[in-house]
Amino acid sequence: MKNILQRLTSTLCASVFGLLAASASFADETCMSPYMAKIVGQEDFIYVWTLGVEGVGDEQDKLVTVDVNPNSKNYGKVINSLSVGGRNEAHHSGLTDDRRYLWAGGLDTSKIFIFNVHSDPAKPRLYKTIDNFVDKSGGVVGPHTTYALPGRMMISGLSNDKDHGGRTALVEYTNGGQYITTHWMPTDENLGGAMKSGQFADGYGYDVRALPRRNVMVTSSFTGWNNYMMDLGKMMGDGEAMKRFGNTVVIWDLHTRKPKKVLDVPGAPLEIRCAWGSQNNYCFTTTALTSKIWLIYEDKMGEWQAKAVADIADASKIPLPVDISISADDNTLWVDTWNDGMARAFDVSDPFSPKEVYTKKIGAQINMISQSWDGSRAYFTSSLLANWDKKKSDSGDVQYFKAYDWDGKELKLKFAIDFVAEKLGLPHQMRFGAYSLYAQKRPQDSDVKVAASP
Amino acid sequence: MPVALCVTGIFLFSLAGTVFAHSGHNKKPEQPPQVLAPGYQSLNFTAPKAGSYTLPQLGPASDGNILDMQGKSVRLHQFFGDKYLVLSFIYTQCDDVNGCPLATYVSSQVQNRLAAEPLLRDKIRFISMSFDPANDTPAVMRDYAKNFVKKGFDWQFLTSTSESELDPLLAAYGQSILRDVDENGDTTGTISHILRVFLIDTDKQIRNIYNTSFLHPDTVVNDIKTLAMSAASKTTSGLSTPSPEPRLHGAGDYKQGYANKSYVTQAQSLQSRSGHEADLLQVISQTPLGLPAVPVPAENPLSKEKVRLGRQLFYDRRLSHNNTFSCAMCHIPEQGFTSNELATAVGVEGRTVRRNAPTIYNAVYAKRLFHDARETSLEQQIWGPLLAHNEMANPSVGQVISKINQIPDYRQQFEKVFKGQQADIKNVGDALASYQRVLVSANSDFDQWLFGKKNDAMNKDAIAGYRLFVGKAACVSCHLIEENHALFTDHKLHNTGVGYANSMSKVPVVQRVLVAPATWINVDTAAIADSAEVKPGDLGYYEISGLPEDRWKYRTPGLRNIQLTAPYMHDGSISTLEEVVEFYNTGGINNELLDPLLRPLHLSAKEKQQIVAFLSSLTGSNVDSLISDAFAAPVGNTR
Repeated sequence: MKNILQRLTSTLCASVFGLLAASASFADETCMSPYMAKIVGQEDFIYVWTLGVEGVGDEQDKLVTVDVNPNSKNYGKVINSLSVGGRNEAHHSGLTDDRRYLWAGGLDTSKIFIFNVHSDPAKPRLYKTIDNFVDKSGGVVGPHTTYALPGRMMISGLSNDKDHGGRTALVEYTNGGQYITTHWMPTDENLGGAMKSGQFADGYGYDVRALPRRNVMVTSSFTGWNNYMMDLGKMMGDGEAMKRFGNTVVIWDLHTRKPKKVLDVPGAPLEIRCAWGSQNNYCFTTTALTSKIWLIYEDKMGEWQAKAVADIADASKIPLPVDISISADDNTLWVDTWNDGMARAFDVSDPFSPKEVYTKKIGAQINMISQSWDGSRAYFTSSLLANWDKKKSDSGDVQYFKAYDWDGKELKLKFAIDFVAEKLGLPHQMRFGAYSLYAQKRPQDSDVKVAASP
Repeated sequence: MPVALCVTGIFLFSLAGTVFAHSGHNKKPEQPPQVLAPGYQSLNFTAPKAGSYTLPQLGPASDGNILDMQGKSVRLHQFFGDKYLVLSFIYTQCDDVNGCPLATYVSSQVQNRLAAEPLLRDKIRFISMSFDPANDTPAVMRDYAKNFVKKGFDWQFLTSTSESELDPLLAAYGQSILRDVDENGDTTGTISHILRVFLIDTDKQIRNIYNTSFLHPDTVVNDIKTLAMSAASKTTSGLSTPSPEPRLHGAGDYKQGYANKSYVTQAQSLQSRSGHEADLLQVISQTPLGLPAVPVPAENPLSKEKVRLGRQLFYDRRLSHNNTFSCAMCHIPEQGFTSNELATAVGVEGRTVRRNAPTIYNAVYAKRLFHDARETSLEQQIWGPLLAHNEMANPSVGQVISKINQIPDYRQQFEKVFKGQQADIKNVGDALASYQRVLVSANSDFDQWLFGKKNDAMNKDAIAGYRLFVGKAACVSCHLIEENHALFTDHKLHNTGVGYANSMSKVPVVQRVLVAPATWINVDTAAIADSAEVKPGDLGYYEISGLPEDRWKYRTPGLRNIQLTAPYMHDGSISTLEEVVEFYNTGGINNELLDPLLRPLHLSAKEKQQIVAFLSSLTGSNVDSLISDAFAAPVGNTR
């Protein structure tokens, strides 16, 4: 009775996951809240939050469901596509702590789309659209990370409605979609009680992660609407625009939601991934512009510090490290470098000295990676931002979803979907889905209808 | 089988550290060791001090029909309102040590902590609500309660008559449960669920939600105390220390000196960005020193209501096709009514705009508008950005008009201001033009010195800079100063070579890019070529006149408030006034159409610095008032 086992363990895992030894053989994407319901065994679906693009299909943002269960006859196929209306700069998404709903943000319109993924995991439904996020939050633009906390979602903004610059806030909502409060990123004028440990307190935001066992929340800093929406080539040539990137990581008191310390991490630190081991009180981030791995760690005195611990590729080629993913045993950090399309595995068993141990070109460009909890499967998508993505490439392999197996030595391609050829758009964040989470059995394959090719 | 423990609450209390699968009423195979939830152990950090933080309201705690411990059918809210509640959803046969038993254990520990605090003890009620009505009858709950309730504490163990009565309550609390079934589809008696414990205040508002990773007696106790302290402070005065009036002009995201190692942020808080409406019509009766009377067309007379309507339209993000963009997103009040953060503007969906957003200050005096002088009146000009695909991207005039008319507030205002009319192509222009018309700014140090005859209004460097401006440097040839006023423009178009260089320069193989404070890298241009769009051309006034001699000519801008309007030139290609002065000192960029007025000036370093000092004395005395007024305007976000 595998499904039941998976499900029951998944709920238990929600409670003990952060405490269990890494030998546990759970399988799930490793980059979500540590206290969220988990899938054991094979995931059935990947939900791909996809940007609409002019000239491709219906030109709208959409949630695309890919069947990734090798036992399914639809394995490797798009089985559902749900358009939400308009182009919102679809970007990141995150599941609620009970995994019943998937929140997906639009960085341009600041809308948040909440999908019901539990009633029929093969066919998510649009449950609710939050279209007043900017008003409710007091002017926050660009909902980015939607991070599950107990009964609520912590949403990191990227910009604001005053100057479309980088100063922004964290915004908290209930799982039901009700606004709770806004936590502004610390600035020099209002540090909110935080210590400015270096030269910068820019008030910028990007990702948010939590380490409940240390009562710590960590945020990083990217750039405002002006930059993330504009053409990459134009931006690189705009000396003013290039000054508007974040240079900070903020350590927060998770319980009180108050900022405690602002750390200098220059060069736009993006994704944050915290270690799983119960004694591993550190997180990694990578800086997009300066191309480095930074370690955010608690020192022996209990002070949180930031240290650049490795270079990623050749900074002059603007590799642009984007998504990263830490393995369940804390030994491997995957770093995708967007511009050269490379997935890079770093040995981070010594977190102060990451070593690049494997590199593979996945496509003309690359953004997101989601790996299974046991690390044996890795999924990649290509799109970064609508106006940063490559307009052309010699290989043509620009906009894709790809599934790989990883044996610890090599990535082996299982299947690929060209999202432009399929008239879908630009694929971005992936989240895992499974029948087992909701006490549902996988229907007989003959019962599953594949979405008509758009 | 999954990790599964069959433990009673009492047994649990003796557990510490790692526990192993325990065989209880169901025989279960050996299990790997399980680590107990934080709630069973010493907290791994010091719980934040009670009262040092706030717990925002997370929404109302719902009501429903339940059975009390005596089996009487009552409403759940019967137990709400008089005390702080620690409400957990459990079932008595729960065999997950880190599930329901944890909730019960922590509540029990909270009892222990508060046993010595009778005042607080009397303000708390624990509620354990079963989600297993089939097994957890009132009698079972009563029996179960005996294991936990300490003397003097109020702890209710509640259940319900049926799943159908219970389910709406669970749904209202977002407490999803899955009643487990075996391979035959028969219920196993176990229930999978995410642990949720709720802290509820006396207003029946949820104030915190804990799950297994967060639930700990230390934090729960401090949260209860925090609520109690917050309630007590409600009765005291809410006086707060007034904060000093913040500086209004200048980008709140300070980047001066970003290229230097000594750069430090001086970021302002967006929360303090607020303002007060000003009497903008004052400029009609009392033109600021240094400016001529504000020209007002007879067919569009100014009124307070019209200016206010225009202001609202100017800041309204709904005036773009996808509701993300107002006029003010490029003409940002505190950034000189332009954007200090971009060389060239960005429109809807990030679309490329070729030129720098010009300031709105004193736009009323411009005889021709836009950098290429293609428009002749403010009333007409507004339709340019509203309809441009790469600016506000509205598909048509009609669409803008009908969108405005569908907003009740606007409909009422238009009818009032324009005598019963709805919005139309003319009066939308009239209203927006009227607001921009009153954004005049002067009475600067320079005006006080030259026109006000106050000798000490400008410092020596600025005075020397003025002399150079009108003398050796001959800036005044294009940036005119009249006898009684100064607009600093000849209203003509000139080729300085900036546009020429933009069009004709070869793309460098390597670009030097500032990627972080004081951190430059030499970027291989080819590395980003695939991501870069084809740069749109820009031929200046030639695009309007069609005459080859007009290539790369652009309108002479006024110089008032120039200190606030960086970056400079029609393409924002120069960041600082120092660099602007140096540009003209070298005579511009040579090309066959270079304006003959440009020639090398041979200014000394000191002279250049003096001209910058002069330019810095052109900031109007009313800018903070105009900015404050702008901050007070609504921005039209969806509510």
